[in-house]
Amino acid sequence: MVLTIDHLSKHYGRIQAVDDLSLSVEEGNIFGILGPNGSGKTTTLGMILNIIFPDSGSYDWFGGRYGSNPRRHIGALLETPNFYPYLSALDNLKIVAHIRKAENPDYDGILEIVNLRGREGDLFRTYSFGMKQRLAIASALLNDPDVLIFDEPTNGLDPQGIAEVRETLLQIAQRGKTILMASHILDEVEKICSHVAILKKGRLLATGQVGAILSNEQWIEVEATDREKLKALLATIPEVQSVTEKEHFCIVATKPGFQAATLNQKAFQQGILLTHLVSRNKSLESEFLQITKEDLV
Amino acid sequence: MLYLLQLEWLKQRKHRPFLMLGALYILLLPSSLLIAKSIKEWPPPINTPDTFFRFPDVFIYLGYVGNWLTFFLLGFISVLFITQEFSSRTFRQNIITGLTRADMFWSKLYFLITVALGATVYYGLTAMALGIIHSDALYSSVILKHIDYLPRFFVMCLGYMSFGLLLGTWIRRSGFALFLFFAYGIFIEPVLRWGVHQNLFRHKSMNFYPMNAFEDLVPIPFSEMTKGFEKEFGFQFFLTGQEAMITSLVYIALFLVATYALITRRDL
Repeated sequence: MVLTIDHLSKHYGRIQAVDDLSLSVEEGNIFGILGPNGSGKTTTLGMILNIIFPDSGSYDWFGGRYGSNPRRHIGALLETPNFYPYLSALDNLKIVAHIRKAENPDYDGILEIVNLRGREGDLFRTYSFGMKQRLAIASALLNDPDVLIFDEPTNGLDPQGIAEVRETLLQIAQRGKTILMASHILDEVEKICSHVAILKKGRLLATGQVGAILSNEQWIEVEATDREKLKALLATIPEVQSVTEKEHFCIVATKPGFQAATLNQKAFQQGILLTHLVSRNKSLESEFLQITKEDLV
Repeated sequence: MLYLLQLEWLKQRKHRPFLMLGALYILLLPSSLLIAKSIKEWPPPINTPDTFFRFPDVFIYLGYVGNWLTFFLLGFISVLFITQEFSSRTFRQNIITGLTRADMFWSKLYFLITVALGATVYYGLTAMALGIIHSDALYSSVILKHIDYLPRFFVMCLGYMSFGLLLGTWIRRSGFALFLFFAYGIFIEPVLRWGVHQNLFRHKSMNFYPMNAFEDLVPIPFSEMTKGFEKEFGFQFFLTGQEAMITSLVYIALFLVATYALITRRDL
């Protein structure tokens, strides 16, 4: 077990930021912590990184393998990229390497990964936000830590920056690293993570494999001149899972991969004329909103 | 220890305010005293400007110039080199990266001691150079008469800087911390001592305030001129060297313990 969180709680005044949170992350997991803003994601990461003291509860890194200060073996980017503005990117990385006691840090290699080669001599304060974010990822990667933690890694980036950061994260994930990532963007968690925990108001609502928690369903809205014939046809198609009748059309839930065009073709062969045919994916966003609204555990 | 000192050096070696304030100290320490040369006639007991530069009194005069300079320049550095870590959120990042809070405290303290040591060595060398140039005859007993000014100067630097470190750690915002540092040294403490303490109890205890103790380590020259007032008040206006030293060391210890407590117990 890489990380075990045991009944962790933290409050700020009357706000319960994290409420009795228990989690465990295994080696090789790409673990997403998903929740709306203010759900306690950053507070949780702050506590397990020892910058915020918990009110109660405990956590354990690597089963205690690295003693009381395991953070040299964790690469983390929390909220904003934080560096000395008056130093160059390389000078900043040298400080990180010194703190981590890195023997022979591969500056070129990690700068290559985040696409900052050639800009390492520039002062940090001259960097664009996207570059700062990528430098933070580079510094997290320095000295090859066992676990990487990213808090909202694409926050505040433009679309190109988002694409670049995601690409970088996927590359890192493919190398078999354990990654812990907090995000309020469902799509991001779904694209990158293997496991997910959903937080709301500091409480854990659900945790498990991404596929089990966030299912990806699709359905088709369909209507024909003769609805009875249409229903008879739908009953014969094995990919159809359920049919719900509405006033102006039927909602047909299908197995993933079933094409609306196939339905159109079959109906035409049976002499059924369709007047309405729309293919829809059940929105993950709405499912996520549903989960956080219903408070299910 | 070397590891933590190296870490702080990596942070400061290209930090412009640190380099500029350091350069200013190196420049101003001898030149401020040398300004005295531009005035040819001095009232007794000085008479000629050369008095300032002769052994053994050059240690006293240069020390008093250094007193002001270290309060302003080293004080500034000591506030800034910790608030900088808060304003760019690098304190937090250093902990995340793997430093412990205690490491952070010690790296700051080691650096502070190194700067104080450097300032003292420079003071000693400058005093020696000025003395050798301006004294007609060199006797080791005369040269070394005020050699105790070296440890006093060092503790004074440490005192100003540990106070700055505490304020910077406590307040975190460089502007306000700097303001409070200078306001306390120049205005608040004198008002507390002369306005409040002296009126309530006219007692020697009014001298045992931190900035006053640090100041009296390397005191204003001609302190004997206040003897007349002292008779009237019934006690001395200045701490003796020993009193100043012990009082300063106690305050420095208190400031450092408080800084350590703040650094190790607060959320970042």
